[in-house]
Amino acid sequence: MAKVIKNDKGALYQSTISRRESLKWLGVLSASALLPSLVGCDVNDKAVDVAKEAIKGHWPDLSLPPISVKGYGKDPDMIIPPSSPWPKTLSAEHLTLVAILADILVPRDGDVPSATEVNVPDVIDEWVSAPYKRQQDDRLTILSMLVWIDDESTLRFAKGFAGLSSVEQLMIMDDVAYHTDETPAQYKRVAAAFSRFRKLALAAFFCSPEGTKDLGYVGNVPIAGDYPGPTDEAMEHLNKALANLGLAL
Amino acid sequence: MMKDFDYQVVVVGSGAGGAMAAYTLAKAGHKVLMLEAGRDYDPKTETPMFKTNGQAPLMGAGNVDKDFGFYDATVDGGWTVPNEPYTTGKDSDFLWWRARMLGGRTNHWGRYSLRFSEHDFKGKSRDGLGADWPFEYQELAPWYDKTEALVGICGTNTGLDDMPDSAEGVLQPPPKPRVPELLVAAAAKKLGIPAVPMHRAVLTRPKDDRQACFYATPCGHGCSIGAAFQTTTSLIPMALATGNLKIITDAMVRKVDVDSKGKVNGLTYVDKKTSQDIKIPAKVVILAASACESARLLLNSKSEHHPNGLANSSMQVGRNIMDSTGTGLGAHIPALEGRPIYNEDGHTANHLFIPWWGHKSQTKGELDFPRGYHFELGTGFRAPGAGVSGDLQGYGKSLKEQAKKHYGAGVYLALRGEMLPNEHCYMEIDEAVRDKWGIPVAKFHWKWSEHELKQVEHGLKTAKAILETMGATFTEPLPSAEQAILKGGQIIHEVGSTRMGESPKESVTNQYGQTWDCDNVFVMDAGVFASNPHKNCTLTIMTLAMRNATWLAEQLTNGEL
Repeated sequence: MAKVIKNDKGALYQSTISRRESLKWLGVLSASALLPSLVGCDVNDKAVDVAKEAIKGHWPDLSLPPISVKGYGKDPDMIIPPSSPWPKTLSAEHLTLVAILADILVPRDGDVPSATEVNVPDVIDEWVSAPYKRQQDDRLTILSMLVWIDDESTLRFAKGFAGLSSVEQLMIMDDVAYHTDETPAQYKRVAAAFSRFRKLALAAFFCSPEGTKDLGYVGNVPIAGDYPGPTDEAMEHLNKALANLGLAL
Repeated sequence: MMKDFDYQVVVVGSGAGGAMAAYTLAKAGHKVLMLEAGRDYDPKTETPMFKTNGQAPLMGAGNVDKDFGFYDATVDGGWTVPNEPYTTGKDSDFLWWRARMLGGRTNHWGRYSLRFSEHDFKGKSRDGLGADWPFEYQELAPWYDKTEALVGICGTNTGLDDMPDSAEGVLQPPPKPRVPELLVAAAAKKLGIPAVPMHRAVLTRPKDDRQACFYATPCGHGCSIGAAFQTTTSLIPMALATGNLKIITDAMVRKVDVDSKGKVNGLTYVDKKTSQDIKIPAKVVILAASACESARLLLNSKSEHHPNGLANSSMQVGRNIMDSTGTGLGAHIPALEGRPIYNEDGHTANHLFIPWWGHKSQTKGELDFPRGYHFELGTGFRAPGAGVSGDLQGYGKSLKEQAKKHYGAGVYLALRGEMLPNEHCYMEIDEAVRDKWGIPVAKFHWKWSEHELKQVEHGLKTAKAILETMGATFTEPLPSAEQAILKGGQIIHEVGSTRMGESPKESVTNQYGQTWDCDNVFVMDAGVFASNPHKNCTLTIMTLAMRNATWLAEQLTNGEL
């Protein structure tokens, strides 16, 4: 089972997925620069208006070389999908940070495994290493967020995020994990970036067999005969909803 | 290769029109040679049944390689086809979806199968816009019955004026509606708008060698059991079984050839495996390469006798292109939060939808746009993928609770509407650009008119009203119609590029898809559509192909051709 191993020097993410190739992530500068750098976010997230927003706090101005490998093409094997369609690019340190954050987002919950236990960090690594536009946009967003978190951790506690106690980690989380109108200006950009990471990590968790079960999806099983439709319980809930809304079938 | 096979007809394309034409002719005893530009494809062995998004790269998300997601049955196709570009005119946005595979675009389509009505065929007689079709609905009705019976359509006769009834016993029973669809129906009802079972080309009862739907694994992956209609599991194997069909794949037709008098006598295609041109004779040619690909082929088949391209004395080839209008509005519905979970896969797509309800209002002059639209409903407890809905905050236990609260509580109303032809929407040949095979490419021009924009504006307001009736709240104003309307071609219902009509002056073919200029050249794809009703085009492509190929078969039998 994949997991984060804690040791004297901090922590290390140990994947169960063999990484055929691991290109080290190049060209990252953790400059704590104050330059604006637009953060990609999906349509449901609140956009950060960099022009209007006073730029407060630090933000790493990363210059990432483009991913120039080929995609899986227009006729990939769909029966046995490629398990390693392109080289993964996260460094061990960033993969560890991804793992710690993913487990803060989705910790173990009784019998339900944590994000790391179902290999969410590897899915994120595959995502940010993909040669397609959407993923390359996310790559800048997420790597910037990772660098910001380590910078913030160093500023506050004089060590990297992986080396912090859980209490210290959550102190930083409480500042970045809420992206609302009330988010303080200095956290707006990292909160938007963290929102994108949160959705990706959550999606990767729900896409695992254990996560799918936890979400409650019960489809993709063959049914003999006619489609049964809603259960009695589901219809009862609907009928109450209809009554509350003043509607009738 | 074809020395021992004395074919009478060459069909270009293996999708909805080509496969139906080939099947109809083969069944009537005529030998048919089919040319397909893409590779061979067998859904029985190639369909990723039951695969989950988690097993695919990027959680199955779409990209430039696989536009509709990793498991989309479309192979070697999409919005871009390598080595086969197209261009657009100044200020024109147009997207051209193509598939390069046996079965063409029938391997991945919505499978919504709604009949056009008398109203739809005679729009111009009613409002003076566009063009009428050269026949009455009553002439086509029995062919719709035959096509629906052969293809296998589930749904019900609703008696609504937008949905002509099928003959008794033709339709298969539809699946039961899902909870959010029932909620939409109740809200729409309060506004005087009906919601009824969708008609879909999905078997709910077994047919021929095809099994009934088992309500699992998305139709978009393709269907190895043949329940969801695609020509590769139905018409093509059935036509092959007659012994009267032969197929050549990887055969990209370059031009239609003529003799010294200008009569069509063959075709030249590129064998994509060897890049060699191959010239074959043909007594009769059926073009069913898709509306714009067939028009491109005609325009590229210039000769001394046909200086503007083949069958183009009317100068209408490439004109009159129409797509469906497309937009949509979605909302989170608090009343659906935390509802009891059950299996909502069903047959993948709409069990209920909202047909066009405004004929009477239009007649009374109460609407500021002509023609109609329908709403398709996006709802349900869907299989997890690369997206998670909701404005999620925080971490830990409360985060998962938020995600679960949103799961299955979103409703999206997708508008699909009728567009009218206009002079700004057409294609021509871009002589400056050639594809890998040296064939000049298509160049598209596009501009929506006020008719479409007003319709979209009306649709957005109506969708908002329905969603608000379900308890949704909107904090943002609706987008303008110009912002909201999707691009030309984006709904993948492009039709009309070789339209049929009453006269050789205003149309390219007669009512049988026979070109006015060349009696041995037929068009049997959506190029022949005289108008583009809001209903998805594939059922009507197949119905026309069956009717017109039957007429052609009689002509061949009687020695007329």
